[in-house]
Amino acid sequence: MGLRKPAAREALHEVVERALPRDIEGLCAQLHLGNEAERRWAARDLAGVAAAVPVLGRRLRDEADPRVREALFTSLCASAGEAAVDELLPLLRGDDAQLRNGAIEALAAMPRAVGPRIAALLRDADPDVRILTVNLLGELRHEQVTPWLLQVLREDAEVNVVAAAIEVLAEVGGPEHVPALHDAVRRFPADPFIAFAAEAAAGRAGGG
Amino acid sequence: MTRHILVIDDAATVRLYHRKMLGDAGWHIDEAGNGLEALERVTGRGAEPPYELYVCDINMPKMDGYAFVRELRRLAGVPQAPVLMVSTEAQSQDSRAAQDAGANAYLVKPARPAELVLTAALLLGDAGAARRAAAQIAAATAGAH
Amino acid sequence: MRSATATRRPLISDADFLKFRDFFYRKTGIHFDESKRYFVDKRLVERIEATGADDFRSYFVGLRFESGGAELQELVNTMTVNETYFFRETYQFDCMVNDMLAEITRQRRPGSRIRIWSVPSSTGEEPYSIAIYLLERWRQIDDYEVEILSSDIDTQVLRQAERGVYSPRSVGQLPKPLLDKYFTRTGGGDWAISRDLVAAVEFSRVNLTDPADTRRFRDIDLIFCRNLLIYFDDLSRRVAAEAMFDAMSPGGFVCLGHSESMSRISPLFQVRRFADAMVYQKPLEGGRP
Repeated sequence: MGLRKPAAREALHEVVERALPRDIEGLCAQLHLGNEAERRWAARDLAGVAAAVPVLGRRLRDEADPRVREALFTSLCASAGEAAVDELLPLLRGDDAQLRNGAIEALAAMPRAVGPRIAALLRDADPDVRILTVNLLGELRHEQVTPWLLQVLREDAEVNVVAAAIEVLAEVGGPEHVPALHDAVRRFPADPFIAFAAEAAAGRAGGG
Repeated sequence: MTRHILVIDDAATVRLYHRKMLGDAGWHIDEAGNGLEALERVTGRGAEPPYELYVCDINMPKMDGYAFVRELRRLAGVPQAPVLMVSTEAQSQDSRAAQDAGANAYLVKPARPAELVLTAALLLGDAGAARRAAAQIAAATAGAH
Repeated sequence: MRSATATRRPLISDADFLKFRDFFYRKTGIHFDESKRYFVDKRLVERIEATGADDFRSYFVGLRFESGGAELQELVNTMTVNETYFFRETYQFDCMVNDMLAEITRQRRPGSRIRIWSVPSSTGEEPYSIAIYLLERWRQIDDYEVEILSSDIDTQVLRQAERGVYSPRSVGQLPKPLLDKYFTRTGGGDWAISRDLVAAVEFSRVNLTDPADTRRFRDIDLIFCRNLLIYFDDLSRRVAAEAMFDAMSPGGFVCLGHSESMSRISPLFQVRRFADAMVYQKPLEGGRP
């Protein structure tokens, strides 16, 4: 016993006959039929496969296991594009916090694809969707992030959406944005948190 | 003996705000940026006193508030403590979901300072802090009439 | 009379420091307190100058909005200390021989195989340190067959690892009896590790973010992945964590670098605290360990 090197050419694991072939159809089937480990492997193997994006998206809605969900999200990130965005956006409205927040993280990885959808999301009737969108802006590498945030500061009626925007502006903003922060406080005079957050953000953005 | 509270939120400003409100009430505050980091802080507690209250957001990256509470309730070898969820979601189904996950109380953001402190004090069983916060609320209500 | 204007070094204001600190904590989970101010400021100034930015603000905007994340990786690199040497961060090796192996072998028959993966191998200090620790400090080393696998993306460092020759600095932390036992002095004043130890480690070229490379790794009981993921961008970290998770046996453990945390990487693992270290575990089949 003791230290042992695996013999040359020895497989690191027992080779087991696959139940389903590792082609797209087989993997899609494994995504639904396998046990947790098999569903994870199928999700990972479908990363970057354009035709599989709707299948991955559909599976997210049905998959209860949080670890399989993680693999599904990671694989959708690898297929960044309009089709992936179409699968992820509906999750923002759902009841499931893991799906909502997982969708935001995945969308943050695809700034060019999600960019054209941001304006509409910021006008969504549901304030929770708008908050999540602002959270997304916090992670997004897109040249319109600051103008979008300023628009929220000027126009959004919901205090928590504005608070979320103030948070992000603290990081991406500069001294030229301090007046916009003060304007936001004037729109919500009764709210001690807005005043607090705007003051903190002005300190960060203002510099010096 | 000062009570230890863990504030969990991905927004730095919210953590700062809660730290200020709760710190002014005399409690010791630690922070975590998401549910995973919070679990690490809890698990990693060495000689320090255990946390007696968690003030926790719902929407956070990597691990949301519900998942944190569920995992917290399953942790072996860690004294359990109440969880106060503070979130932007105003729908009643979310406070029920919080309860189902194992949380003890639910406040909608932005929490009024005295309300936050009173709820925390009640969950901690800190009668002095509860009295002071209640008096503050009463004074504010009286002032409003 | 005109005098040449010296170029002023950029200044890092208090607000700049706080802005940087919040951002860095959000991205890495690493928190710099006030006592690290000089350490941080010096390195920020270096990066501002290296990137040709005018000041902190323009550097930070570039950092925050760059596609690809290359500068963030440079920044992380400079903010974290990353030397490799024998017996670096031994608290995790202590945890291995004191606690993790005991749990792993709880359900194993004597004579069965235990598999350890050290990635990145870099120039070999880590996998060889593991080997020495097992031989010297694990009481049950003779009861099991232990395979040590070690991988790196860089074939040059892999060649150096297989060559097995190290500087005095690299072996400086080894207790002298172990140095004498497992190394011989070379003519040039370096130390050559025993060929038996070189033979005991299986080296391979692997890109942890490429499933084609990682697919064949299975049934790994213990992974040391120290000071690698912190340099990856957000997506690559997730992909690497997924690969490690699926390569592991249920109940297996992962050790990250001392300033790294899964909290900014992946929720797949459960955190476990032992006397010597905090590590991450893949859940046992059907639930909690």
